Amino acid sequence: MSNYKIKRLLEIIPGLISWGVIVFLVVLSAWQPVICAVAIIVFDFYWIIRTLYLTTLLIMAHRKLFQERNRNWLNDCQVLGAEEKWLKFYHLIIFPVYKEGTDILKASLEAIKNSHYPKEKIIVVVALEERNRSSRENAKILEEKFQNEFFGYLSIFHPEDVPGETPTKGANATFAAKAAKEFLDGKKILYEHVIVSCFDADTCAEKGYFACLTYHFLTTPKPHQASYQPIPVYNNNIWYAPSFARLVELSASFCQLIESMRLEKFVTFSSHSMSFKTLVDINYWPVNMISDDSVIYWKAFLFFKGNYRVVPLYITVSMDVAYSTNFFKTISIQYKQKRRWAWGVENFPFLVKGFLTDKKIPLLVKIRRSYHLLESHVTWAIWAVIIILMPSFPILFGGAFFAQMSAVGYNLPRITGILFNFTLVASLIWILLSRTTLPPRPKDVKWYKNILMVLEWIIVPFIVLILGSTPALDAQTRLMLGKYMVFETTEKKRK
Amino acid sequence: MYYLSVLIFILGLPLILSSAFGYKFNRRTFKFTKTGLVAIKTQPPGASVYLDNALLNDKTPLTIAELLPGSYLLKIELEKHYPWSSNVRVEAGEATRLEKIILFSIRSNIRQLNKEKFYTFWVDEEKGLVYYASEDLGIYRSDFEGNNYERIASFSSIDPLPTKFILSPDRKKIVYFNRRNIGITYLDAYSDEPFFTEQFVLNYSPGALLNIFWHSDSYHLILITNHAVEVLEAKPESAPVTLVNLNKKNTTSSYDLRNDTLYFVDAQKAADGNTYDNLYKLELNSRSFALQQLMKIQTHE
Repeated sequence: MSNYKIKRLLEIIPGLISWGVIVFLVVLSAWQPVICAVAIIVFDFYWIIRTLYLTTLLIMAHRKLFQERNRNWLNDCQVLGAEEKWLKFYHLIIFPVYKEGTDILKASLEAIKNSHYPKEKIIVVVALEERNRSSRENAKILEEKFQNEFFGYLSIFHPEDVPGETPTKGANATFAAKAAKEFLDGKKILYEHVIVSCFDADTCAEKGYFACLTYHFLTTPKPHQASYQPIPVYNNNIWYAPSFARLVELSASFCQLIESMRLEKFVTFSSHSMSFKTLVDINYWPVNMISDDSVIYWKAFLFFKGNYRVVPLYITVSMDVAYSTNFFKTISIQYKQKRRWAWGVENFPFLVKGFLTDKKIPLLVKIRRSYHLLESHVTWAIWAVIIILMPSFPILFGGAFFAQMSAVGYNLPRITGILFNFTLVASLIWILLSRTTLPPRPKDVKWYKNILMVLEWIIVPFIVLILGSTPALDAQTRLMLGKYMVFETTEKKRK
Repeated sequence: MYYLSVLIFILGLPLILSSAFGYKFNRRTFKFTKTGLVAIKTQPPGASVYLDNALLNDKTPLTIAELLPGSYLLKIELEKHYPWSSNVRVEAGEATRLEKIILFSIRSNIRQLNKEKFYTFWVDEEKGLVYYASEDLGIYRSDFEGNNYERIASFSSIDPLPTKFILSPDRKKIVYFNRRNIGITYLDAYSDEPFFTEQFVLNYSPGALLNIFWHSDSYHLILITNHAVEVLEAKPESAPVTLVNLNKKNTTSSYDLRNDTLYFVDAQKAADGNTYDNLYKLELNSRSFALQQLMKIQTHE
C-alpha cells in the first residue's frame, strides 16, 4: 500500500469510529432498544466512574500545585550544587506571533522580565509573521522596550510561502528556532545547555517558572529525553470573559492538571519547554501541521524509540480566555479554538505511521500509545452525545412497548438521570477548585461576579454538547474527508 | 485509585443493569429474581397507596419497584376524595403504568351559575362564556364562574319554544329554531350589516327542520330538513335555495366550520334494487360546491 493510502486510511479511522458509534446507537435504539439502553447505561456508569476517578486525580494534582506554589525554585537550584551547575543553562523563549498585538506581547515579555531567573541567561525570540503587515512596526515597539533586558533579544520575521510549509504556528516557531540556533552558534553556546520554551503570545510565566524548569531539568534522569509541561491557566482576562468561555478554559486547565497525574498519557500542550539539543536533533516543530504542540512530543517519542516523556511542572503559565465582543462571536471563537485543539487527532495517523516504520519500539508500547491517543479523541467526540442526547433515543424510537411497558424502558431515563446527577458531585468539587486558582478580583469587577462564577456551572451540559463533542466531531469528520484545516489564530481580548 | 475505579465499575455495573431490568437480589436464596414495577400518578397528587392492604411510605406520584410477578390489590386514598382501587397485574420485566388516575372530590364543587329562570343554555368554550335562554324570551350571558351575568338580547316567541340556539362564528347573532320556524337575534344593539334588525322570524313551510349550521361567513345558514339540504341568507323574508334533495327522511349531519364542509347521510338505491346509506361530503366554501361521495357504508359488488 502506498504511503498516501496508509495515511488516508489512518486519517479516516477516528472519524469513522466516532460516527460509527453514534449511528450504530441511533439505529440500535429503534432496532434493539433494550440492547441500546444497556449500552447507554454501561457507558454512563463508565463515565461516572471515570469522572470520579479523574476528579480524584484533579484533587491530587491541585494539592501538588499548592504545595509547590510558594517554593523558592532558585534556592532549590542553588542547593543542587555549585552555581556553575545550573548557571550554565540558558533559557531560550520563543513567542510565535501572528496577529496578536503589542499589548498582548508586552505583558508576556514583562512577565519574563520580572522572572527570578538571571536575565543574562535568558534569550527571547519574538517570531513574527512577514504576512502580517504590522509585524515590523510591532517588533520595533517591543525592541525599544525589551531589547536590552535579556542576554539576547531577537525579532525574527518568518517569510511567507516557504516551500513545503503551511501557514502554521509550528512553521513560524521552527524558522525562529533555526535563527536562534545561528545566534547560539555565534555565541558558542552549547545546545545541550539551552532549554527552549515555546510560548503562545499571551503566555505570562510565573516568576519562578524558569528556575522551576531548570530545577526539573537538572533533577530529571536523561533530561534531554523529556518535555516539560507547566499547567496552563487562563487567568489573564478571566474576570472579564463571558461565563461559558471561562468555563471551557477552566475545564482545559483541569484536564491538563488531570493529565499531569497520568504520566503514561501525558502529552505536551500549548506552551511547553524542552531541550534545545533535542529540538535540533528531531528537526524542530512540524512545519505543516496545526497541532505542533503535541506533534513535537510524538516526534521526540519516535526519535528516542519510545524513551521520551513529559515531566509535569506544578507551576502555572497564564494565558487569555478566548472571547469576543458579543455572545455569538465568542461561541464562534471558542468553537474554532476547540476544533483546532481537537485537530490534534492528526497526531494519530502521524504516530501510527511512525510506528509502522519503526522496528525498535516494543509492540505493546505501540499498541498502548496508539490506543490511548485514539480512545481519547473518540471519547472526546462522542461522550456528550451519548450522555446527554442518547438516553431519549430508545424511548423515542424503540416503540410503544419499550417506552411504556418494559421495566428497562421505564428505568432508563431514571437511571441515566441519577448517574448524570452524580457528575454534580464532581462539579461541586470542580467549582471549589476553580475558586482556588482564580486571581484576585480586579477593582472594576463587581462583587456579585463571584456568585455568578459559581452559578455559571449550571450551563455545563450546554457547553459540553456545543463546545465539547461537536468541535471534536467536526475536526474528525474533516480529517476523515481529507478536508484539512488551516491554522487560525484565536482572537484575544483584554480589558 | 485506578484499580479501585475498575473494581467499582466491575462490581457496580451488574447491580445497575439488574436494577434497570427489574431484577431483585434475594438475600435468602442468593439468587436474582426478575420483577416488575408499577408507576402511579394521581390527580391530585399526594395520595396514600395501599398495596395488598399494606400502606406504603411514599405518596403519589410513586413507583413501586421490584414487585414479584403476580396480581396485587392496589388502593389509593386521599382525604375528601373518593378512593380508587383495582387489581393490578405485574409482569416480570415490565412496567405497569397507572398514570391517569383521577381522584374525584367527595364534596363536589357544585355551584349555581344562572340568576334567572332559564330553560336551555349553550357554551362558547373559546371565549369562556355561558349563554342562557329563558322562558321570558331573554338571552343571558355569564362567564364560566357565573360572574357578569347579564341579559344581552331577546328572542321572538315561536311555538313550540326553540330547543336549540346556535351562535354565529362572528358571535354577533344567534339562530334558534323549531321544526317550522327559524329565528335570528342580534346580540349587539347596533350592527353594520345591511339587513340589520334586532330580531326576526322566518317561517319554514316546505318541510320539517332537522338541523341548522352557520356558514363561516356568519351570513348564510345551512338547513338540514327532512327532504333537502338548503342554504338560507340570514335576513328577513329570505327564501331557501335547495342544494341537495334527500331520500332519507331523518338524516344525520355534521358541519366542519373551518373548511365549510357539510357531512351528511343519505339513502341511495343500488343496482341490486336495495337501498343503502352513504356518507356524503358537500363543500360549501367559496372555491367549490362539489358534492362527492366520501365513503360507502355498504358496498354492492
